[in-house]
Amino acid sequence: MELSMSGGALRTFSRCVTCLARIGSDLVFQAYPDKLELHTLNSSRSAFASVSLTRDFFDHFHLPADAYADAAPSSTPLQCSVLLKSVLAVLRTPTSAIDRLNASLPNPQASKLEFVIHCVSGRKKTHRISCSAESDVQTLALDRNGFPSRLAIRPRDLTRLLSNFQSSLQELTVIATEPAARLPGVDDGTGGKAVELLSYIDPTKDDYDSRLHTQLWIDPAEEFLEYEHAGDPVDVTFGVKELKAFLTFCEGCEVDILLFYQKAGEPVLLAPRFGFDDGSSSNFDVTLVLATMLVSQLNDGSVPQQPPTSAHHAEEPRAAAAAPSPVPENVSNHTRIWSELSGLTPKSFEANAENRAQKERNGRANVLNDTSVLPNTNAPCKLPVTYNANYIEQPVQMDHLEEPPG
Amino acid sequence: AGEQNPAGGEAWVRATGMSSSTTSGQGDDAPGLVCVVDCVHGMVDALSCVRWNKHQGAVVELSEHGIVVTVEESGCLQAKVYLKTELFAEYDYGAEGRPRFGLSLGLLVDCLNMFTVPGFASPVEIRYPGPDMQLLLRSVGSPDACIHAEIRTRIPDTVAWDYHFEHAGNTPVTFTVKSAILKESIDDLEWPGSSIQIHFHPDPPSVIFKGEGHGDLEIEFSYYANTDLLIAFQCDQELSYRYKYKFLRATTSNVPSSVLKENRGSKVTIGRGGMLKIQHLVSVARLGTQSYHNFAGGAQQPSRIAFIEFFVKPEEED
Repeated sequence: MELSMSGGALRTFSRCVTCLARIGSDLVFQAYPDKLELHTLNSSRSAFASVSLTRDFFDHFHLPADAYADAAPSSTPLQCSVLLKSVLAVLRTPTSAIDRLNASLPNPQASKLEFVIHCVSGRKKTHRISCSAESDVQTLALDRNGFPSRLAIRPRDLTRLLSNFQSSLQELTVIATEPAARLPGVDDGTGGKAVELLSYIDPTKDDYDSRLHTQLWIDPAEEFLEYEHAGDPVDVTFGVKELKAFLTFCEGCEVDILLFYQKAGEPVLLAPRFGFDDGSSSNFDVTLVLATMLVSQLNDGSVPQQPPTSAHHAEEPRAAAAAPSPVPENVSNHTRIWSELSGLTPKSFEANAENRAQKERNGRANVLNDTSVLPNTNAPCKLPVTYNANYIEQPVQMDHLEEPPG
Repeated sequence: AGEQNPAGGEAWVRATGMSSSTTSGQGDDAPGLVCVVDCVHGMVDALSCVRWNKHQGAVVELSEHGIVVTVEESGCLQAKVYLKTELFAEYDYGAEGRPRFGLSLGLLVDCLNMFTVPGFASPVEIRYPGPDMQLLLRSVGSPDACIHAEIRTRIPDTVAWDYHFEHAGNTPVTFTVKSAILKESIDDLEWPGSSIQIHFHPDPPSVIFKGEGHGDLEIEFSYYANTDLLIAFQCDQELSYRYKYKFLRATTSNVPSSVLKENRGSKVTIGRGGMLKIQHLVSVARLGTQSYHNFAGGAQQPSRIAFIEFFVKPEEED
């Protein structure tokens, strides 16, 4: 494999690598006759990022013909795996000082991947990075058309929304409801805001009470470029670190962010939003698949002992960036229940903590049954090792939310 | 070489209190050196260039030609700062022979820094020897206030090895490149680290720096790649030697930013036996003026340049 890039493509490549390096530690290169793919999987196996670069992305793209049994795009790719931090070391030279960057892998069994940087100054830097040709590279391909719901947002708007949350926040819950359900005149306490962003704090951790819990109610018409959601409310909880890595990438490339989702437990898909035709004209694409928590935050089932009062809310360290008024009594079931969980008195809190912990354990049991991956105590559901084809071929039925186990 | 000690006393590092320094030439019965530095921060820049460790002992040698400060480490790395008489506003040398003394480089640099209060550009008078063989410094030029400093000196250790740089062959094997590019290249070589090979090719003319570690990095300076890259290049034989990365790093890690901003060049030469010599130029200009002198020639003023030389011994070939 031999390829060469320069200028804007080189800057995009650098951003891709930076993004992937914030997610995983190993980079898998897969070269097909018509494209190059880069993948990484994070250590807790809850995030999979993939970059796809077509032939046109490069100034020069050459694959030896005998690397393939046939020239079909789906044939076994030429692949190797390197450490992301080694590739970052190569890209330490600022792209403004680089005239062109060449990468080459002489043969499938080569032990080193070679990067040659031709500097503007005239220097030539040759990096040779040790690589391993992994035989069992895991990849994940999700069809974005298989997702019933989606939203599109500008990176700077998402940055602004996320800035309301504690910067050390690890997981975020997005609750999506139908925008049409909010009829004007019905005061449901959220002011007609169909989407809620919530900080997810692990209830089993000791510092649950001392952490900052944040809720935002959002009007999709104001904050999002696109919003499609039909049917019952749905919530997805996923990692913030990987989300921020993707956000920075989109900001750098000046593209908007698309988020495709289904329901708790099913992965979400993030992709850049290129113009109006969904990337068909772009020579690169990046997708990020994040696993979500199995346990839905919505159908917790428990009814609080007391109705919420403004005194309770004042005690809790909670920030609401929109609709700051206390939640009145005639709210929709889902939003009210969640607000109850964060505004509880110590007595009812313990009862609910027990309930949540039970569901966590059941959540983990599901993961063990479905996959052979070792459980990580407080992680969201892990992506299965070999993803089945269901998500590509069959549309998902969304009649109602599943009842949580137990 | 015996050094004369005009004052007749001993120079030891003492823990007790110092005797007070004389305020003027009165009572100073020992001819020595009295000089005035009017650009103290330039002097600090030049001396900091050879400060790769926080604590380093230096040997200072005084002569009628100027001051030479020598620093070394482990017998493998040596650096010299040449401060010629032209750099000083005044230089009054009266000693016999060439006095040598040792002191802490860090202490000297930190001490000189005390005189560089922003907005208060005061020249500094340096005097040696003081009554106890110490180095005396004081700010001059302001009638209202005066800063005094004294630095203990000691008899320098006998130099274990003295570099005698000889050229490898009939013609020197050398190249000159912008200091900023040399520094950046050596910084890049941190990634493979440990041991760096420098390889000179006469034809096609090029120099390659190569490091091998958990990954390999090769940086090639090719004469024909870009007319601006190699300012000068001379090589009539193929040469290749290895040097420890940490010593190579010391030669550029503290190059002052003025050198990089003024686009100065650094000269790299390999001598007999593989001894590596790297030379930098640091301007010690009067404040508000710039002196321009580079390896390509052409001085605008009598040069106010400090010459810095690093010597690195090659690694033993197995």
